[in-house]
Amino acid sequence: MSVQTIYDAVIEFNIDKVVSLVEAEIKIGTDVSEILSNGLIGAMDEVGQRYSEGEFFVPEMLMAAKAMKAGLEVLKPLLSHGESEKKGTIIIGTVKGDLHDIGKNLVSMMMEGAGFEVYDLGVDVDTEKFLATAKEKKADVICMSALLTTTMPFMEVTVKAIREQGLSFKTMVGGAPVSEDFAKKIGADGWSTDAPGAVETARKLTAK
Amino acid sequence: MEFTKLFSQSEVERVHEASLEILENVGMLVRNQKAMEIFSKNGCQVDMETMMVKFPREVVEKARKTFVPTYTFTAQDPKFDVTMPGDRPIVVTGSSAPNIIDPETGEERRATSDDIANIAYLINELPGFDVFSISTLAEDAPEGQFSLSRFYPALKNCKKPVRSNTPNMEDLKAVLDLGALIAGGEEEYRKRPFINHHYCPVVSPLTFDVDSTEAVIYLIEQGLPVYGTIVPNAGMTSPLSLMGTLTLGNAEFLGLATLTQMIRPGAPMIYAVLSTVADMRTGAYAPGAIETGMLQMAHTEMARFYNVPSGGYIGLTNAHSNDAQSGYETGMNTTGALLAGADLFNMGGLLGSLMAFDFAKAVIDNEIALMLKRMKKGFEYNEENLCLDLIAKVGPGGSYMDLDHTMKNMRTIAVLPKVATREMRRRWEDQGKPDAHSRAMKEAAKILSKPNKSRFSEELDAKVRGHFKGLVAGDAKWGI
Repeated sequence: MSVQTIYDAVIEFNIDKVVSLVEAEIKIGTDVSEILSNGLIGAMDEVGQRYSEGEFFVPEMLMAAKAMKAGLEVLKPLLSHGESEKKGTIIIGTVKGDLHDIGKNLVSMMMEGAGFEVYDLGVDVDTEKFLATAKEKKADVICMSALLTTTMPFMEVTVKAIREQGLSFKTMVGGAPVSEDFAKKIGADGWSTDAPGAVETARKLTAK
Repeated sequence: MEFTKLFSQSEVERVHEASLEILENVGMLVRNQKAMEIFSKNGCQVDMETMMVKFPREVVEKARKTFVPTYTFTAQDPKFDVTMPGDRPIVVTGSSAPNIIDPETGEERRATSDDIANIAYLINELPGFDVFSISTLAEDAPEGQFSLSRFYPALKNCKKPVRSNTPNMEDLKAVLDLGALIAGGEEEYRKRPFINHHYCPVVSPLTFDVDSTEAVIYLIEQGLPVYGTIVPNAGMTSPLSLMGTLTLGNAEFLGLATLTQMIRPGAPMIYAVLSTVADMRTGAYAPGAIETGMLQMAHTEMARFYNVPSGGYIGLTNAHSNDAQSGYETGMNTTGALLAGADLFNMGGLLGSLMAFDFAKAVIDNEIALMLKRMKKGFEYNEENLCLDLIAKVGPGGSYMDLDHTMKNMRTIAVLPKVATREMRRRWEDQGKPDAHSRAMKEAAKILSKPNKSRFSEELDAKVRGHFKGLVAGDAKWGI
């Protein structure tokens, strides 16, 4: 038995196996951060890689993230406080007026898979709620998602509010109609076309 | 013309039955308070806490009894009014793209209110288009005039029916004020409401949203024209099978139709869809895929069962330029939909999966629209058109070139394209080998370099500008 088997089980999308293997590793005294980094997060990095190469389809990425998350749940009570905070804290939601959340959910899962502390506010989130939660959770990055072109302007509202209030949260935007130019124009700090890219961007933004 | 049928009568009935089962047993999540109250008052089982609404089958069947078979798009100029199904196919531009392909540089950039003015004028002049759905957003919109900056340039430059959406009630009311101002009073406006509202109040799977649903309820209550499009995306927001997505989308249409008929029995509707299959390799949205056409055909068959007009966003493309992909995606999907009997085609002018408007694409789509209309007109079967007398008169070995009959028909029997080339290769080479895109851009420039005769009068414009301070200019101008 080794951490490698956990890694393999994530890539096989086998939730039950991941859970039992993580439990077994804990029992034999394997270092918790070893399980986390080389087992769970390492596997998700490979999943992102395989997706980028066209080998994995989106549902496979999603299933792997679910398996990873199940393992993470087992691990969580044992993680020293700050283990996940080290990676960074993310606030995520779809913007006001937009209920389209599939992309956002995928990004949320992948962020968790990468070891971030993620607070998913769901759909139809206004600026006040983004900011209040970000303050409360001492967030590093606020991630906003939109599918409708008519709801995209609310991203700018939040970015502006952060500036005006002199807050230090970084912002990331995503969703089908969101482009790099748009992200730059509204002053967002990050942007990505897909979920693995969003994880990479968040890593850069939270690098200390 | 006989329509293509994909299903037997019993299969159609099964899809209907299955949709009723979904509405009755699974139900819909209704995030709008007013909608929940309407459903509750009219016999649905509503849980105000969870916002779950279940539809007993008799409630849906009762709503079905007041469905009406026609839907009219009203124009500022009555000669442009169109009614389905009689005037089918109704060809509409695709709408609300954030970007435009700059006609000068060929680069994609954010669209502005000036672009909307040019597009409105172009659509007013292109005969294949029946309705102008405002193609883009206006990035230069002054604060608080997000929607006015779209509707004003559109209405100022296009006398055909104008269609689009608004993001909230404030914007909707501002747009209705604009309509009343143009009509010369609210009462006058209500006689001929030439702003045709459209929303996607149902977010698949099985969810009514907050703001669009609010707008739809308000407009139905007011007796103003509105319809919704149902947009399931197989593999993401609906089952990854064509039958599953057809059935879920059909259930969602029935949910919206039931709400509509509860508010105002007999309110006109369109069974409009943009049912797609996601590209599961990346999750990419694929409205140009052939499955979009297949699903439109199937939904149209369901619409015929309900005896309501049908159509939707059909003929979109994922291509980023006017290349072969753009042509075959728009061409194949619209042809399928036409043959199945669809009435409404939201197809014109957009590239990159609804992301960017392109002037040449609009001109090419105008030509595709004229071809679809030609197909629909069909063979005009009658004894005279068999031409037996003529065939006998000319006999074997003669020519039909110099006959009165030929002279009479030569300008009408065939579509005479302006974009498609019929030149011999040598001549085409001498012209500099122009492709469809550059020929189409030339047609756009030909139209847009002349002043717009259909524009608002100076007097009306002064009135509108006096009422809404700080409005964008909204004038069509072509600098190329």
